Amino acid sequence: MRRFVITVVAALAVVVAVSGAVLAGTGGGSSVTRARLERSLPTEFARLYADQAGLLGHRGVTPASLQARAMCDKGGAVEPDVGPGSNWICLVSWTDPNVPMPPEGYGKFEVDVHSNGCFTAGGPSKLVGFQTITDRRGREVTNRLLRPERRQHTDRQ
Amino acid sequence: MTTGTLPAEAGTTVPAVAARRPGLLAALRFETLKLRAQLRAKCLLIGAILVPIAVVVVVHSQPRPPKDTLFGRFATENGFAMALLVLGFATQWVLPLLTAIVAGDMFASEDQHGTWKTVLTRSTSRSTMFWAKTAVAIAFALVALTLLAASTIASSWLIVGHQPLTGLSGQTIAARSALELVSASWAVMALPIVGFTCLALLFSVWSRSAAVGIAAPVVLGLVMQLVGALGGIETLRPFLLSTPFEAWHGLLAAPRFTGPLLDAVVTSAGWSVVCLTAAFLILRRRDITGG
Repeated sequence: MRRFVITVVAALAVVVAVSGAVLAGTGGGSSVTRARLERSLPTEFARLYADQAGLLGHRGVTPASLQARAMCDKGGAVEPDVGPGSNWICLVSWTDPNVPMPPEGYGKFEVDVHSNGCFTAGGPSKLVGFQTITDRRGREVTNRLLRPERRQHTDRQ
Repeated sequence: MTTGTLPAEAGTTVPAVAARRPGLLAALRFETLKLRAQLRAKCLLIGAILVPIAVVVVVHSQPRPPKDTLFGRFATENGFAMALLVLGFATQWVLPLLTAIVAGDMFASEDQHGTWKTVLTRSTSRSTMFWAKTAVAIAFALVALTLLAASTIASSWLIVGHQPLTGLSGQTIAARSALELVSASWAVMALPIVGFTCLALLFSVWSRSAAVGIAAPVVLGLVMQLVGALGGIETLRPFLLSTPFEAWHGLLAAPRFTGPLLDAVVTSAGWSVVCLTAAFLILRRRDITGG
């Protein structure tokens, strides 16, 4: 019994020591940064939007023609814009001749970023629509834009 | 006269004894035989084929897709998304459990039945036994993973369909390359599952109890997922054995990235080597006189 306790305590000590050394050595940097999110969210959004425009029968909408752009912030001015969390806010703007943007010129997306780099972005429903949409053939299909589900952003750039 | 015959006798008897001692092949064959006789191993393999079919049918019949899970949004209308949804779920605890049920019992069953002394004094050496058991456990894990993957992909393909897949960067992936990517994603899981097999073998040797050998790797896997999900200690993530389970995400992004795959190879190999070395040393130094 004593040997078992000693082993467990020793194992715990080793784990804590190694984690401490790793944390101290690397400074606790996160792979989730504002720049990466601002790069990957518009790319993904534009592709989904163009895909959806094709379903709706809107012509001439390509990921490039949308010129989607995002400006992201985590937790307001008091928090540094780095690390995972559900308090990321991204203002996404794009241009679609078929659908005019609201006067402010952007949509506000609430983004939940996980530590593995996956994120879920929820946009305003007046811009992205409801759960299902009716495509040009009259079928009910899943709305691609409503809460674009977790997507990995490129974590090696 | 007598001095002339003695070395000749010794010379004939020593190789005869050595030849009778079975090598690694015989030990492998015997361990496979023992595994094939186990009811739970058979049940696991049959379950790996049947359970995914049931899961796919049930999820497919849901009126609302499980949209908060990775690839859940399109799972009810796209077979590839369904196969990846099942993969995401399997990596949480199913894959560690699948391998731990056999590997965690591998060494502990000898303790349970009190057969160490019999086997080691008459049949084979400790190291031969160790490598045979390790090889059989890893082979079983890979077979189980293959069956689970094949069953999931095939049933998703047949039941849900094979439309073009929407990838992780919003890009559309044609059905053919989607099938390749989904298969590759499942194949990558071989790395962490080997790691978890070695972890289960270590617990099996160390604790001499099948319960610990089976439960500890699964619980540790869940703890590692929890640690990996915490913010602030992300630098620990590459060292966790649960991180390779997410390495497939990069395959389905639009600028495909393979960094996590390399990390997965290094992490899984590291854990495997450390666990196997520790298990081997414990087994070598163990005092087997009791049962």
